Amino acid sequence: MIAAIKTEGLSRRFGARLAVDGVSMTVPERAVYGFLGRNGAGKTTTMKMVLGLLKPTAGRMRVLGLDVARQRMAAARKIGALLEAHGFYGNLTGRENLALTATLLGLGATEVERVLEVVEMRADAGRKVGGYSLGMRQRLGLARAMLGAPPVLLLDEPTNGLDPDGIADMRRFLKSLPERTGATVLLSSHLLGEIEQTATHVGVVNDGRLVLEGELARLKADLAPELIVRTGDDTRAVSLLLAQGRSPVAAETGLTVALRPGEDADQAAAAITRLLVESGASVFAIGPREQSLEDIYRRVAGSRSLQTEAA
Amino acid sequence: MIAVLSVELRKLNRSLAAVLVLAAPSLIGFFTFFVLLRNKHPSSWENLLQASTGIWAFFMLPMSVTALTALVAQMEHAPRAWDHLRALPVARWKLYAAKAICVVALVAVMTLLNQLIAWAAISGAAALKPAVAPTGALDVSQALLLNGKIVAAALLMIAIQLWAALRFSSFVPALALGIGGTFFSVVATSAKQGVFFPWQMPMNMLARDAWRVETALALGGGLGLLALIVAVLHLARREVL
Repeated sequence: MIAAIKTEGLSRRFGARLAVDGVSMTVPERAVYGFLGRNGAGKTTTMKMVLGLLKPTAGRMRVLGLDVARQRMAAARKIGALLEAHGFYGNLTGRENLALTATLLGLGATEVERVLEVVEMRADAGRKVGGYSLGMRQRLGLARAMLGAPPVLLLDEPTNGLDPDGIADMRRFLKSLPERTGATVLLSSHLLGEIEQTATHVGVVNDGRLVLEGELARLKADLAPELIVRTGDDTRAVSLLLAQGRSPVAAETGLTVALRPGEDADQAAAAITRLLVESGASVFAIGPREQSLEDIYRRVAGSRSLQTEAA
Repeated sequence: MIAVLSVELRKLNRSLAAVLVLAAPSLIGFFTFFVLLRNKHPSSWENLLQASTGIWAFFMLPMSVTALTALVAQMEHAPRAWDHLRALPVARWKLYAAKAICVVALVAVMTLLNQLIAWAAISGAAALKPAVAPTGALDVSQALLLNGKIVAAALLMIAIQLWAALRFSSFVPALALGIGGTFFSVVATSAKQGVFFPWQMPMNMLARDAWRVETALALGGGLGLLALIVAVLHLARREVL
């Protein structure tokens, strides 16, 4: 099967700084691929190389099997992009801005109206873009990326500037895209929550290197399972669990206790409850702790955390 | 290419560049109108139109080219539109070539407007003050030929200004270049070497010496066309960071 986007050893140097360092990334077709990393980690540079805007120092990239360096025009026909800088002309209306791109793509006015309808912007499309809010520009940018229904969408921080309702709408919309249109979405973000709730696949880039990639559900399943225990006396519980050879860690919601390899979660919960109760420590609650993308991220990208919620 | 050109023209809708196209020749028109009203004796059509053409070629054209190229380039630089444009399945040279063609066309339109507005200003002043009504016949073909030469001789200046405006995302280098070029063109008006100075080449179309006209036209037009092609190719090949 041809990957929607495939990069091999992609690197880009700006002077002495290596912004992207040997990124080999595979975005399967019809996936929503969350490209996650801190600001300046190399996400936008990688996306710009995939779009043919920057030449790689080393490596190559393919879009639906097309070599971007050698077949830029053919590859560009397959991609719609929403970049961080929208590039709209403030003196023109939203509709006029889309019509410019439609003309360059050889599309007609009906296609402009179609994408305006999709992002629910028809009512405001007659106003000059200079008066748009950031959220409206973002939606207009998404509409422009969808002109001509390209099979691959590259979206750089698409929820920037959206209000909470807009973010929720955008998430629903992006999640439904592969099923509705067959499109593949590469979505970059520094927001863990956004990626976790939207993506089917994830790639984590850190200091220019791709440090993790895979199907999100599988990555979560691969993490060692943990129990969360709420007790009336955490200090006593910790010493009892340590004596049992376990490694409890205090968290906001209680003590997290990693399971031993092959250990059944229910059996472990029963054993821990029995141990604590028989030793006189009250147990308020015990149960499996759901692994999050943040857990995955912390393990591969170090202790500096990303934002978990939209600003 | 037609599609890219049409897009380039539509971008001008309600833009400052479009305002400039009307404003710059209009200023000369106002000036001509009020100067004529102060005159006591009539002049010929040829002299009056040449005076307007002279102001245009000498000062207003270099300044307008500087402003126009900066405004047209800033339409892309300010919203960082290059990334979007250059990611589209359109040959990049066409994006820059369309911009160059559009700017040259606008300069031609401004030059033509300068003549039309001058004609209107002279006619208006003559109607208000018949004593200054122009004498002789209006030689339209002669005026069009002269203005055509001015636009052709301005090509090298346009190429340099457009390249600077598109190459640098800040408008400062292009403006400094244009203001500097116009300044030296004005202060060194009578210098023989001025014929080789791109900002003074249009003005040389009004010279009496045939060699000045021919040299400035050949350099401005010929080299200008070459410089425009080189500028388009250079801009299309470089990365926009």
